Order: sequence, then C-alpha cells, then structure tokens
Amino acid sequence: MNKHLAYGVVAFWGLLNGLSLSVLAIYGEASMVYWLWGGVVALLELVAFTVWLSSWRGSDQHANYRVTARTGAPALPAAIAVLLAGLSFAYGFWLLIVSLPLLAIALGMAAMPGLAGKDV
Amino acid sequence: MNQRHIFGTVFWLESAIAGGVFVVIAIILLVSLVRRRARVGLVASQRQDNRKLEISYAVVLAAFAAFLVSYTAWQNHRETGANASTAPAGHASSSAQGSGAPSKPVTVNVTAFQWCWQFGYPQAPGSLKVSDNCQGGKVPTLVVPTGREIRIHLTSKDVIHSMWVPALRYKMDAFPDHVNSFTIKIDKAGRWVGRCAEFCGERHSKMHFWLKAVPPDEYKHWVQQHAAHAGGAQA
Amino acid sequence: MTVPATSDPADTRTAEPDGWLGWLTTTDHKRIGLLTLATSVVLLFLMGILALIMRGQLAQPGEDLIDAHTYNQVFTIHGSGMIYLVMTPFAIGLGVYLVPLQVGAPALATPRTTLLGYWLYVLGALSMLCGFAIPSGAARSGWFSYPPLADSDYSPGAGPDLWVIGVAMSAIGILLMAWAVLWTVLRKRAIGMTMLRLPVFSWSMVVTCLMVLGAFPSLLAALVLLALGRGDPAIFDSNVWNIGYQHLFWFYGHPVVYVMFFPYLAAVAEVLAVFCGRRFFGYKATVLSLLVFAALSMSVWGHHMFTTGQASNDYYSLTSILLTVPAGAEYFGMLGTLVGGRIVFRTPMLFALAFIPQFLIGGLTGIMTGTPVIDYHVTDSYFIVAHFHYTLFAGSAFGLFAAVYYWFPKVTGVMLDERLGKIHFWLLVVGANLTFLPMFGLGYKGMPRRVNTYSSVDGFGLLNLLASCGAAVLAAGMIVFAVNILRSLLRRRRGGLAPMPDNPWNAHTLEWATSSPPPPENFTPDRPLPPITSNAPLLDLPMAQKEAEGANPGKTAQPGEPAGPAERSGL
Repeated sequence: MNKHLAYGVVAFWGLLNGLSLSVLAIYGEASMVYWLWGGVVALLELVAFTVWLSSWRGSDQHANYRVTARTGAPALPAAIAVLLAGLSFAYGFWLLIVSLPLLAIALGMAAMPGLAGKDV
Repeated sequence: MNQRHIFGTVFWLESAIAGGVFVVIAIILLVSLVRRRARVGLVASQRQDNRKLEISYAVVLAAFAAFLVSYTAWQNHRETGANASTAPAGHASSSAQGSGAPSKPVTVNVTAFQWCWQFGYPQAPGSLKVSDNCQGGKVPTLVVPTGREIRIHLTSKDVIHSMWVPALRYKMDAFPDHVNSFTIKIDKAGRWVGRCAEFCGERHSKMHFWLKAVPPDEYKHWVQQHAAHAGGAQA
Repeated sequence: MTVPATSDPADTRTAEPDGWLGWLTTTDHKRIGLLTLATSVVLLFLMGILALIMRGQLAQPGEDLIDAHTYNQVFTIHGSGMIYLVMTPFAIGLGVYLVPLQVGAPALATPRTTLLGYWLYVLGALSMLCGFAIPSGAARSGWFSYPPLADSDYSPGAGPDLWVIGVAMSAIGILLMAWAVLWTVLRKRAIGMTMLRLPVFSWSMVVTCLMVLGAFPSLLAALVLLALGRGDPAIFDSNVWNIGYQHLFWFYGHPVVYVMFFPYLAAVAEVLAVFCGRRFFGYKATVLSLLVFAALSMSVWGHHMFTTGQASNDYYSLTSILLTVPAGAEYFGMLGTLVGGRIVFRTPMLFALAFIPQFLIGGLTGIMTGTPVIDYHVTDSYFIVAHFHYTLFAGSAFGLFAAVYYWFPKVTGVMLDERLGKIHFWLLVVGANLTFLPMFGLGYKGMPRRVNTYSSVDGFGLLNLLASCGAAVLAAGMIVFAVNILRSLLRRRRGGLAPMPDNPWNAHTLEWATSSPPPPENFTPDRPLPPITSNAPLLDLPMAQKEAEGANPGKTAQPGEPAGPAERSGL
C-alpha cells in the first residue's frame, strides 16, 4: 500500500474534491462554479497521473540522487522580465521591448550548458 | 424583528457551546501543564495512538456537527422562509398604490450609492423618494410602520455596498445590476442607526442612515405629508 | 548522472559562487528557503507598522491622524501584505527549507524554478509596495479588491495596477515553490522514508501544496478578470462578472487561509512532541484529518458570500460546520500528546502551548461565522476582524514564532536567547488578546470593518482604545523579537559562543540528524542519514545505537535540556 501512497494521496484528495462538488450539485450553484471546481478536480487527477507515471518509471525512495549543480543565475533576469511584462499593462506595451529580450536571454542562459553549469 | 430574534437564539446557543468547549480544553491543557511538567521520575508515555478512543471521539464530533448543521439550516430557513412567503417580489412601481390593507407588506426600494442612500416608496402617491448626501451629519431616514411586514428591494447605483442595521442583527449586500430582496418586521417604535458594511471607497465610514419605525397611523400621515411635498416640488 | 547522497561535499556544489552572488543565484534549497523566510519576516515588520498606524488612527473617535485616502491604502496593503507576502510565503519557505531535510533528500526536486519563484515573490512585493511612492497612492480597495470598486472608474491611478501585478507575481512564485516541495515529498524521499513515516510537518506541506495547486490558479483567473476590468470597466456593469469575481476570488481566498494555517499547526505539533519527549499522539488520525480538512476547505468559500444573496448558503454552511470534525481530531492529537508528555517549558514550547487556546477562540468563532443567521449580523464587522486575527495572528503567527525559536539553531547554529524569548512571548500573549478580544465586542455592537474613523456617539471609544493599547504591547514584543534575532546573529559573527550541540532540543526528525547548520548536500559521510524506522527516526536511534555502539551521551539527555557538546561541521 505504501508503494502507491504517493500518487494515491493526490488522487484521493482530488476525488474528495469531486465528492464535495457533487454534493454542491444537489444544492445548486452558478454554472461557472461547476466549471471552475470541475477543472480543479481534473487538474488534481492530472497531477496524480503525473506522479503515477513518474513512480512507474522509478522508485520514490532513493539512495542515489541526481543533484543538479546548475546555477540559478537565469532566475532573476527571468523574474524581472515577468515584472516588466506585467508593468506593460499599466505603463504601455513598449515595456515588452525590454521584457521579451530579457526573457529570451534568461531562457538562453538556462538552456546553455556552458553557462548553466553541469549536472554532477 | 424576526432576524434579531433568530440571531439571538442561535448566537447564544453557539456561544454557550463554544464557551463549554473552550473551558473543557483549557482545563485539560492546564491540568496537563501542571501535572506533566518535567521533573525527576516522570517519564513520557510512549503510546502512539488510541484507535478506539479516536474513532469514538470522531463519531461524537460528527454527530454533534450533524446536529449543528441541521439546527442552523432550520433556523436559516425560518428566516429566509419568511422572506419567500411574502408578496411576489416585483421591483418598483408594479405594486398597488396607497398604503393598502394592513396585511399587505410595505415595499421600499433602497438604492445605495457612493456615498449615501435613497429610499423609494413605490406604493406612496407620486413615487415618494427620500435621500440625502450623508455629509455634515445629514443622513436620510428610512421611515416604516411598526407591526407590518416591510419588503425591501435593495440595489446599488455604482459599487457594492451592504445595508446593515446592527439593531436588527441583519445585513444584505447591495449589488449594481442586481436586486436583493428581504423582509423585516418591526414590533416597536424607535430609531436605529444603519450603516454601510461593505467597503465602498473614501466616505464608507460616513455612509449612515436612520431606520425609524412609527405607528401605522403616523406612518400614513408621514407618507401623505411627504408625498404632497414631493408632488408640490415637482409641479 | 547520479551521485550517492553521501558523496564528497566538494563535488556537488562547484557551480555555486561565493558571497552575495552565490545567494542570488543559489539552487540550494536551504538558501532559497532562508531568503524566503528572511524576506517575509522583514515584510512582517513592515506590515506591523501599517497596523500600528491604523490602531493610532482608531484609538479615539473622530481622530485625524491620517485621511481616509491614506487609511484605505494602509489597510489594503496591511491585509494584502500579511496574506500574500508574509504568512503564505513564510509557510512555503519553511517547507522549502525543511522538507528535503525531513525526507532525507539532498536537494529540492526543481531548485531553479524554486529560485525563480522566490524572485517573482520579491519583485511582486516590490511592485505592490511601490504604490506608496506614486502620487495617486497604493491600492485602496482591500485585500480582496471587489469590482466594481477596484476597476479603473472607481479606483483610478497606477497603484491598483501595481497591486494586481504584485499579487499575480507572488502567487505564481508560491505556485512554483509549492510544486517543488510537493514533488520532493512525493518522489524524492530517502530509502526507508515511506509516506507513513513522514514527519507531521512534511505531511502538512503535502496538503498545503495540494491546496496551492488547486486554489491559486483561481486567484490568477480573478486577477486576469480584474485586469481586464481595469482596461474596460464596462464589463463590471454586469452582475455576472461582479459575483463571478467573488467566486473566483474566494475559491482561492478560503483555501489560502488553511495554506496559512496547516504548516504552522504542524510546526506546533512537532514542537509539542519534542518538548513532551514523546511521539506525536495519534499520528495516523492527524494525517488523515489533515487530508480531509484540506479537501473540505476547498468547498467552504461561499461562506464569505452569505450576504450577497446570490450563494448557496445551506451548502457552504454545511461544509463549514463539518470542518469541526477534522479540526477536533487535530486538537485531540495535540492534547493527547500533552496529557502523556513530560513537558519542558522552553520558548518554542510556550508559543506552541499558547497556540492551542488562542487558535481555539478563532476556530469556535469560525463556527459562528459559518452559521448564516449569525454571519448576517457579524460579517464585514469588527467581529470578523477579531475572528481572523485570532486564527491568523493569535494562532498561525504564534505557530510561526514557535517555528522560528525551534528551528533557528538548526538554521544558524546558534540559539536564540531564552530570556528575551520569554519576554517576547508574554508581551505577545498580552498584546494579542488585548488587541483582538475587544474587537468581538466592537463588531457585535455594530462597528463595520474598514472604517477610517467613527463618531463619539457610537460608543466604540473604550474598546478601540483597549485594542490600540494592545497593539502598542505587540509592538514592544516585536522589538524584543528583533533584538533577540539580531543579537544572536551578531554573536555568531563575532564568534566565541559556546559550541551548540547539533540537536539541542533532542528533536525526533531527520533535519536534526545532520549538523547545524546543515552542509550544502544535507547529509555527508560523517553525518549520514540514520536508519529510518518511523516518523520519529531519531527517537528510535538511542536504542539501536546502544545496541550497536554503546550509549551516546548526547542522545540520552532529556528533551529540551542541552545535550552534551557535539562537534560542529558544515558552514
């Protein structure tokens, strides 16, 4: 049972949500609520499925770890790019001229093995 | 004052239960703090759980919750059921004119706006409307007769407000593009303050009104006087 | 490529530069966690100052310390800041720091997106606070910013835009962090660490992260709707979108209350167990009740909308009152632990003990506000303000301080001063109750929340004055807290402190099996993972060790009393 508990917990929790949602259906509520909550239940089951897929490919308990030594350097430029993209809604879309290249640089940094360091 | 009555019953019941629970837990806490404080010779229990006790406790809790759910739902239906039982909810001028028979509810259309209130009496001649600007202590008064059901249709002109008369122990939100209706009935004459409870901007704290209940005869007189006044002003 | 968890430290973190650049680009979960915790504690002080300004303005009727326009900004940023930028990030940051250690992993599952999450949170916080620097001021329509009030017709200016951007960024940041923590618990545990041997705190992070995954997307949807409405306010002429926003918002807004509760509850549970010198009582029941509690918490959002006249009140009341069952189960576990414990009164324990009755007041009044006929009167009044400050301040924040005092030696390698800690504790207990208890009375008597002033004829003067005095006591307590933290950190820098044992409390969980502070890869050949045989592996250890190598003087000391000096390694 323990072996299945990792994704079982997520799936069970999603189903509990589904149960509450079906009780709500008895009482009645705006249709938007069904879409919202139904979507969340689907999302949770998708997460459970992802965990299951991952468990199926390997044990969830490890003696050996893949520890990434990659630098987090791209994180700050990427976050600044997101902030600028957000600000463009308030201060005009010209900010995207700065935001998008910055985002591209951050993504490039994240992808480039030389800059990004190496897995150890 | 149906709402006040029901609120009182349920609030004091739940307060008593809450007080009892608090006292029980506080006693368990204090007793264990005194009796189990670390000292030579005291050994911590190594027991990990007590399945039987846990299950019976959960069952008791669930039964208690079930009681509370059904009891409060029943009380809520007593309150909203009274709302539903009164005359069909037609907004504005669809109702009959005049003050009508005593059994018929008085309709008041309440419109909240930034930052004051307007009270419309569709049954009064000339669609009597009372309003003010809530500035410098000038607040409008919602005048209603005692002993009769008052059907309130509540809406807003701009943002969301909430109509709250603390003495009635009741409030209802006022939405733009939506009418909320509820019924109140006031047993005795008096004057109570009403406030806006939903934050609505800069003068939210000043958005008051008076709720004034007067005997039916006086109410009739008030309506005639003000309707004539309003009609005169319009002419 | 993989390395054994017990590889040489020099191999694993070669890419991490030294100094401040190393901190800004770190992928070490402990550093990201510390950054998050430190940022949110700094913001906690800032939001506390805003609260003091409000209590100053409300101390007496008809005061004119600040005008309504400023007051509205202050309460909006206080509420938004405490929820979006302090209590939630601190809870998740605690998970980022502790969960890999507690499950015996050397790192988080996705360290780089976790760091991205941290930066999004920081920049989001900056964006929200920058509102104070612009002429039209910061956001001023409350932490839930209902339209139409929050649209550009009724709240013009850039402040509310900055608020929307800030909240969205910090929400995305929290989502990324929560995903990393969840995946670490579910997929990165050490050999022997089964799901049912997870410490209570790690379990609380599982359910917390599930709630984040389920609820935070709904906040993002609400914010998108609000952003659209700030572009074209006409959409909020229609009631559908006004009530729709409330559904979207509270679908996030209620679960987040438990995101700001479970991690602190679990911190309290760990502290109770350790300072009672025993396992947490009713572990399995507690885990199950956490899962049920969290699932139910997704279904109660409509109790914030009882007075809208447009919600299914019976249903939300049903689910809200049902919360008493799992909540009662958790209290059962806490009290059960105490009843059979051997209680040592250290500062973390004091905060954990105060949590029990104080949160209880918040919880019991929560049942009342979950009852529609009561809620019609007390909602949007100071009764509600009192209720949620009892849950979030007298409850969760006390859990937060228990966590700080308990894990501070783990994180820094130095203890916090016990005497200052106790002064802090007593000032906070007196201050919190003096501030928030009178508010129940104010709400009952008819004081609406979010008013910048009140008239002397209302009769709210005395209770408000009491609350403001309480706030001053709280401020004094928080100054003591700041002094305590800074003093310990300064002493550490100067050196010369008596060496602290790695496990000064004789705690039970894996984070205490390694050095304090832990080395970059958490467990090393000289500090390897102990065998994991239960949810309190270090409690199993002495016997096993006695069998293997004879008694270890450090491990047999009583909990809470300093163990024998142990060598320090790591940072």
